[in-house]
Amino acid sequence: MTGARAAPGRIRIRSGWILSMALALGALGFVAAAQWNSEFQRTTYTTSAQQTLAEQAVALEEEQELLQAQLAGVEAELASIQAASEGSQTALAAVNEELAETRLAGGLTAVTGPGVVIEIADSRRVLPVGENPANYIVLADDLRDLVAALWHAGAEAIAINGERLVATTSIYGVGSSVLVNTAFLSPPFRLEAVGAGQLDERFRAEPAYLGRVAQRIDAFDLEFAMVSSTELSLPAFIGSTGLRWAVPVEGSEE
Amino acid sequence: MSTPLARFSLALIAFVIGLALVAQFRSQARPTELTSLPVAELSTRIQTLSDANGQLRTALAEQRSLLAEYQAAGAQGSSALDVSREELRRIRAYSGLAPVEGQGIILRVSGALDAIAVNDLVNELRNAGAEALAVDETRLTARSVVVEGARTLEIDGAPIGRTFTLGAIGDPDGLVAALQRPGGIVAQLEQFVSATITITQTDTLRLPATEADLVPEAATPVE
Repeated sequence: MTGARAAPGRIRIRSGWILSMALALGALGFVAAAQWNSEFQRTTYTTSAQQTLAEQAVALEEEQELLQAQLAGVEAELASIQAASEGSQTALAAVNEELAETRLAGGLTAVTGPGVVIEIADSRRVLPVGENPANYIVLADDLRDLVAALWHAGAEAIAINGERLVATTSIYGVGSSVLVNTAFLSPPFRLEAVGAGQLDERFRAEPAYLGRVAQRIDAFDLEFAMVSSTELSLPAFIGSTGLRWAVPVEGSEE
Repeated sequence: MSTPLARFSLALIAFVIGLALVAQFRSQARPTELTSLPVAELSTRIQTLSDANGQLRTALAEQRSLLAEYQAAGAQGSSALDVSREELRRIRAYSGLAPVEGQGIILRVSGALDAIAVNDLVNELRNAGAEALAVDETRLTARSVVVEGARTLEIDGAPIGRTFTLGAIGDPDGLVAALQRPGGIVAQLEQFVSATITITQTDTLRLPATEADLVPEAATPVE
């Protein structure tokens, strides 16, 4: 009798368990297959040529960091020499003071002040089938829109991932990376902007922000955050300020 | 099969699914390791980095030379004054605070371009190595952006008409090549907004100084 009563119970347990297992294994199989496919795409084409080129790129990036550090050191020495005369009333002091102001205006001096920090990164949403992956990553266009909105909102100095923006700066998409000045940047992108007053409020009302990038943030769930800060520190631009083609017009320094 | 064992099995499978989902989710993101980039992109990256490092080496040599000039002058004599004046002249020109002249190109642009299109054009020229730029008579600085004004596009408060000129000082051949590459900015603007863009190389382009006040109010130099 006991066994006769227990048998139907075991059958019910097994049926439920088997159904659950089937569903779970089906889901596991689907995910594993999808993962295997994407891994296959990524690993199949990692060739020895890619390895070699990647090593060269890393070496060049390390060299760039070294060159920038050396250049920053020389710039600091120059600034120190020029600042040494600023306290006196000589012609040299006046020129060096103007030089310091010009470097400040041009983004060639590290600055501090109130402003906003924006962080933007690729969407965390799983790419829907048939969708363009480029929609879900931060593009150079997005950064240009954000920068345009910040400048027009009254920013006085901007840096992206530590790269200070100056008159010759471009923000350029190169494959999956973004080139700013001489540096290849990858997400998350951190934009720091120094500006007076309610920079964040003016930024949020800017058509350059609302027109395209804000819509992409909403549509594709790009990660986006903005906070105000009472004290930001932005580095100076470290790079070439030499002019090869442009010649200052005589008398313009007066 | 006991019920606790079934629950344990399901929990284990759910855990594995979770791990797989995380891995799958990560695989949707852009490649973050250099080795996962295509060969063509890696080659472009290497070329760009090589060029950039060359510019940095030149800049470093120039600044070291400037430093040597200061040290030779003792930082107080008339020679130091000359060095500082020359440096001021160069930095003013670089920042857009002084007029400049030189070889370059002039773009005459016509059409219904929006602010994004003009900003993209400027960005392309900067990326191609333009050292100084002006839209009509407005010299561009780091802060200059084209915006949609009440009636027309504007840059630094100045209106931009449906037809405008964009002057760029730099290597004329390099600038033209960047603009006119297949699928490049000029081709895109001509195709998508029916813009008409003519490019002229010139040996004598003169661009004015900016009229904008670049002296910051909120940003102060780090001591």
